[in-house]
Amino acid sequence: MFPSKKPTMNSHDRPMCVQGDSGLVLTTDPKPRLRWTVELHDRFVDAVTQLGGPDKATPKTIMRVMGVKGLTLYHLKSHLQKFRLGKQPHKELNDHSVKNAAAALELQRNAASSSALMGRNMNENMHMNDAIRMQMEVQRRLHEQLEVQKLLQMRIEAHGKYMQSILERACETLAAETMVNSGGYKGPGNQAAAVSDMAFPALQDLHLYGGDQLDMHQQMERPPLDGFFGAEGILGKKRPADPYNSNGKSPFLWADDLRLQDLGPQDQEPSKSDQLQIAPSSSVIDADSIANVYETKPMLSMNSSGDKKYDVGLASAKLDWPSPRRAPHPMEMVNPMMAGSAMPQTRNLSYG
Amino acid sequence: METMMMKEIGDLSRSSSSSTASRDVDFACAWSNWEPVADWAPFSAPVADDFDDLVDSMICPDVALDDPAALSSMSNTSADTPIDEEVNTYATAGDGDDKDLRLVHLLVAAAEALDGPHRYPELARVILVRLKELVERAGVDSGGGTSIERLAAHFADALQGLLDGGVAGRSSVRDVRLHHNKADVLTAFQLLQDMSPYIKFGHFTANQAILEACLDDRRVHVVDFDIDEGVQWASLMQALVSRPGGRPPPPHLRITAVSRGGGSRAMQETGRRLAAFAASLGQPFSFSHCRLDADERFRPASVKVVKGETVVMNCMLHPTMAATRRGRAASVASFLSGAAELGAKVVTMVEEEDDDEREDLAAEEERGFAARFMAELRRYSTVWDSLEAGFPMQGRARGMVERVILGPGIAGAVNRAYREGKEEGEKEGNWGEWVTAMGFMRVGISCFNHCQAKLLLGLFNDGYKVEEDGINKLVLGWKTSRLLSASVWKPPPPPHLLLPSSPPILVGTTSSSGFTTSFEDSDFIFD
Repeated sequence: MFPSKKPTMNSHDRPMCVQGDSGLVLTTDPKPRLRWTVELHDRFVDAVTQLGGPDKATPKTIMRVMGVKGLTLYHLKSHLQKFRLGKQPHKELNDHSVKNAAAALELQRNAASSSALMGRNMNENMHMNDAIRMQMEVQRRLHEQLEVQKLLQMRIEAHGKYMQSILERACETLAAETMVNSGGYKGPGNQAAAVSDMAFPALQDLHLYGGDQLDMHQQMERPPLDGFFGAEGILGKKRPADPYNSNGKSPFLWADDLRLQDLGPQDQEPSKSDQLQIAPSSSVIDADSIANVYETKPMLSMNSSGDKKYDVGLASAKLDWPSPRRAPHPMEMVNPMMAGSAMPQTRNLSYG
Repeated sequence: METMMMKEIGDLSRSSSSSTASRDVDFACAWSNWEPVADWAPFSAPVADDFDDLVDSMICPDVALDDPAALSSMSNTSADTPIDEEVNTYATAGDGDDKDLRLVHLLVAAAEALDGPHRYPELARVILVRLKELVERAGVDSGGGTSIERLAAHFADALQGLLDGGVAGRSSVRDVRLHHNKADVLTAFQLLQDMSPYIKFGHFTANQAILEACLDDRRVHVVDFDIDEGVQWASLMQALVSRPGGRPPPPHLRITAVSRGGGSRAMQETGRRLAAFAASLGQPFSFSHCRLDADERFRPASVKVVKGETVVMNCMLHPTMAATRRGRAASVASFLSGAAELGAKVVTMVEEEDDDEREDLAAEEERGFAARFMAELRRYSTVWDSLEAGFPMQGRARGMVERVILGPGIAGAVNRAYREGKEEGEKEGNWGEWVTAMGFMRVGISCFNHCQAKLLLGLFNDGYKVEEDGINKLVLGWKTSRLLSASVWKPPPPPHLLLPSSPPILVGTTSSSGFTTSFEDSDFIFD
């Protein structure tokens, strides 16, 4: 960006002259242009650093600090401008800081660049302490905002966890009720398997929350919503973060889509969904509608079979539950046990 | 007979056109800068003419209105009656925006037919039949149709419910809340929460205000109106256990759920769930349940207050989730009045906001059913619009939210709008103004709270905004419309603390200043 070539008195079309011991290289134009040599630029950078960064430094103060004879405010001003522009790779992040936690963190990390923004807006002649005060104010606000952000995220997680527990409970109750009502309906095993399929990811979800949520730092670095799912680890697949970004943001905080992915293809038998159609509950439509939610959302990469699976999962969730679990709270449940014993058993029932 | 009928019809026609025209003036300003699902702009100008045409077309001279046979044929779908054809041509010509506009016209026409001293249920029936044909053609029932078509379908169902005399459109096929099982309702509720900030905005803003009010208290007692599933309190518990500044241990939290007589099993269930959640966080917690009286009034004495605990009252009057039932206004009023007697430190409140109502509160009293119906139509179309922006049209999640949550909400709102004019105590105005009149003082919303709300909205699609309205109220808006507000209040001192010379109800700020010293409330900003 800046001249890396060691400037000498080499042959240029314009005649040059070296000015005394300061070593300035100037053209001999009526309006002499300065050649910014590496040494000179280094001195400039030193001066700027000494003054607290490109945005606090003003041409006047730089001139004083550098103390190079013959260097004019005019030279310094244009060089400082170029220097500032070159030093702002994170400008775009700043613009979205309010909305984006990750950006906000980034912003804080690059305090220099955030002040760069301010510095540009400020009059160059502004007094130093004003600049410092403003920077501190920006820092303080950022810090506050990060604090709010952190707390908000924790609250949203708590909110989500609680909702999840209600939903599971409702499914259980309903399943139990339906079992009583539907009496000798033929294929409860199928549905039980599906019910547990539906419930498990969510439960695991809750288990993982505890460890995950405190790791704010990690979450901040991801797009903020990604952290809300808090569940990537479960299935060993990372949900791509990019769709969120491209989408702006996604308010879809529910980790439910995991259920879709968790329903392995081996659970899927065409006959299963047929059976569900004749099931006593009439809510197949709803399940269907839920399933297709994911179809329409670009950030959830669903294969076409996925929503069909889910379809079954949710529909059956409303149908039956042969062995009502009596776990008072999902937090206390042990997943492996359920996954290991209950599910195969019920599957045997259905296919055996 | 015939002449009399015709005269009445003339009245109807005139009155409806005049009322429509006068509303146009009111709405013109609000509606012109508003971006609804449909293009409503033409609505403000030509509606009066169109409406007259419509009414004329319905009441065409070919049909003798005093002939019962003709009346009954109007309510049938027989396509060969002149009326039907008229309505048909009216309703089907044109496409797109025109069609949407037509739906709105038909809805308003149907509502007008049910308004005023002369009600024409049969006319409304005819319009509804046509409306339903239109939305069926659009495939609304099978999950198709445009946004506005689905909205119109819900409103048509709600009106049908009124006509059939059912409770909140129970008879309609699409009003399925009663037919939906709990899991569906919860799923839809969850979806709504994920799709829009409606619910979390109220919960989090209220919770933050409670947190700030009880910063140093060791026992916090929340008296909650309509606790429902208790979703609000999970995040409060979380916030209590992680209070900044290292203030262990977390204060003891007690929640008293105020509910109607029934549903104590559900209440216990909620209590158990909250207790389990609190236990998982290490939050000391207890739960109690307080029933409203037989006349649905809240009796403060029925809430047990332990000495030394800070009482906080929370009143979520959420439009979409609130049970639409008779006498709610009286329950809310008694609950809020009870705040003073319980010595509540703060009262948090979330309620619907209306765009136009604030301007002409005086005219409010005069508003007929059609006007209230319009207000609801507008409110819900704002909701529709906001969901549309985030979750494009045919989204199945939206379909579910609309069917399970918003549809019944519309039915309830229309039902309420209808009853409002007829039954005493059904009117629900702006509660913020009501509590102000009751001598409640404003408690400032903190910077943190405001910032939190902004950040929350940042998680959803663009278009939502939060703004301050006075020092104690945050308003959640969509584009230029107001949706909800969360406000924080401090009740006047309990009656027994009043000096004998004091007026029973404090009015305004002058009298309130004299009492601030009796409370440890230096943290609060009084208006």
